[in-house]
Amino acid sequence: MTAIEVTNVTKEYQTGEETFLALKGIDFSLARGEFVSIMGPSGSGKSTFLNIIGLLDQPTTGSVSLDGQDVTELTDRRRTTVRKQTIGFIFQDFFLIPTLSAKENVELPAIYEIDETIRSRATMLLERVGLGNRLKHHPDQLSGGQKQRVAIARSLINSPRILLADEPTGNLDSETSEQVLDEFTRIARDENVAIIAVTHDPQVTEYTDRTIELRDGRLTS
Amino acid sequence: MNFGFLDERFPSFKLARRNLTRTPLRSGLAALGIVIGVVAIASLGMFATSLQVNAEDVTSETNSQVSVNPGPAARDGRLSERDVQDVGRAVPGATVIPQKQIQVPVSAGRDNSLERASVVGVERPDAYLEASEGQVPASFQSGVLVDSLIAETLEVEVGERVEIDGRSTRVRAVVDGGGFSANLYVPIQTVEADGYSSVIVIPPETQTANETATTIRERLNVREERVQVPNPDLLSGLISGFFDILRGFLTAIGSISLIVAGVSILNVMLMSTIERRQEIGVLRAVGFQRRDILKILLSESMLLGVIGGLVGAVVSIVVSLGVNYYLVDDAMLTFHPRNLGVLVIAFVFGIVTSIGSGLYPAWKAANEQPVEALRS
Repeated sequence: MTAIEVTNVTKEYQTGEETFLALKGIDFSLARGEFVSIMGPSGSGKSTFLNIIGLLDQPTTGSVSLDGQDVTELTDRRRTTVRKQTIGFIFQDFFLIPTLSAKENVELPAIYEIDETIRSRATMLLERVGLGNRLKHHPDQLSGGQKQRVAIARSLINSPRILLADEPTGNLDSETSEQVLDEFTRIARDENVAIIAVTHDPQVTEYTDRTIELRDGRLTS
Repeated sequence: MNFGFLDERFPSFKLARRNLTRTPLRSGLAALGIVIGVVAIASLGMFATSLQVNAEDVTSETNSQVSVNPGPAARDGRLSERDVQDVGRAVPGATVIPQKQIQVPVSAGRDNSLERASVVGVERPDAYLEASEGQVPASFQSGVLVDSLIAETLEVEVGERVEIDGRSTRVRAVVDGGGFSANLYVPIQTVEADGYSSVIVIPPETQTANETATTIRERLNVREERVQVPNPDLLSGLISGFFDILRGFLTAIGSISLIVAGVSILNVMLMSTIERRQEIGVLRAVGFQRRDILKILLSESMLLGVIGGLVGAVVSIVVSLGVNYYLVDDAMLTFHPRNLGVLVIAFVFGIVTSIGSGLYPAWKAANEQPVEALRS
């Protein structure tokens, strides 16, 4: 089943008098359970593309569908709700909240939910990424790899159908990167989650089902 | 401190509380601004209350008496013997005390003198004067009774001599005159003046002072205004009105410091939201709605207000205890019901200022596009 369907998407930025075309008509689709990497030089439009799929930004033209539902023209409120229910984010800089423990960080996206199972689910997710003994540790007490694994657990708390990772191994050594990428492979395979990883890291491509190249706002493969 | 229940029930409170502890010094200073503002408002308001209660105590003594003064129709501006009798007839059962008042020089010993003191000739001083030293005679034939304020000025005690308009006489008692005037009381027959300057009426038990004043006016001023009888509560009304204005004025001065505190909170919250821009972007990315961000940030400014307000209220109580103890000799006046109102107003002002100052930064952060916030 198609998790993401992007049709003829363009994105323009206005900088002063000039118009900059970051994405020049992108067609892309991704099935559930598929793990894809998007590579390309800096400024090629990778992050813009990821932001549009992640409903953090809107395309200038074209359409985006998630799980068969057109999400191109939603209000901010509705977009936020769909984002919360459907998409998990993983960032290069982890972006954990420093005042919260590992477990509280994982619970964060569901903090306003009245759901008794959230706590046990957060513990279970942290155990699964190998941090069962770090539940009460704060981010400054964790290594880079551990922080990224907390971020992965956080991205999974709402059982998303899509995971979007922006340079997930950018701040990790190769051994830790392998652990994280192993985890991505397992999530895609076992939980049928569609994963897109935007990266410069060639190591990532060894784990993905396919690799797409974005150059000057166009997909080249 | 365990906030388990609150954290669970109000997740925004939990995040706000943790955010404030991230920069404790900055949060503390912002709250200190509110503390100062609340203390300024509450202390000044409570000080005004102390003055007011004190003044009301003084006026309540005169409130139980009616003072009958000559009206425009009175001959030579004095009350006649007939006037005094008519007053007595108008209010049966009342005690009527005619007074003859003159202004003359008074001295005691070589060093202490007053160029013009108010000397009141009175027949029955025991009806309305109380002695703090010595005794107020029932039959007043000789000597002088000195108001405590005059006794202090002239430095005289019971048994010593005072010279009134050149005639030496012995102090028989120091009295609490009540009201605001400072007098010397002498036997009425020793004052050489025609008519009476005023009549003090102590109402019978069946009537209030106000009713007595009205009765006297109605009975004596039928054809012309022979007497002027102000309602005794007029004075306390004026005083109360004055103190309301004073309290309002002092509160307004205190409010200025609260406005300064508000600006400081605005600054702190703006800095904090700019520093946490990416973090707020992440919250929006993982599904926090705009109103959730608004709630968290407003909770932060509200917490600063609540903490500042509470500490401010406690400090105000301590300050007021001290001020009341030293100025009016009654520390417990701090807990006068009117002060409770002042404290509540100051506390609420503190919180409202905090929330008001947090509005703009919170609105700004909540309305930022997550993609912009994450990019920073």
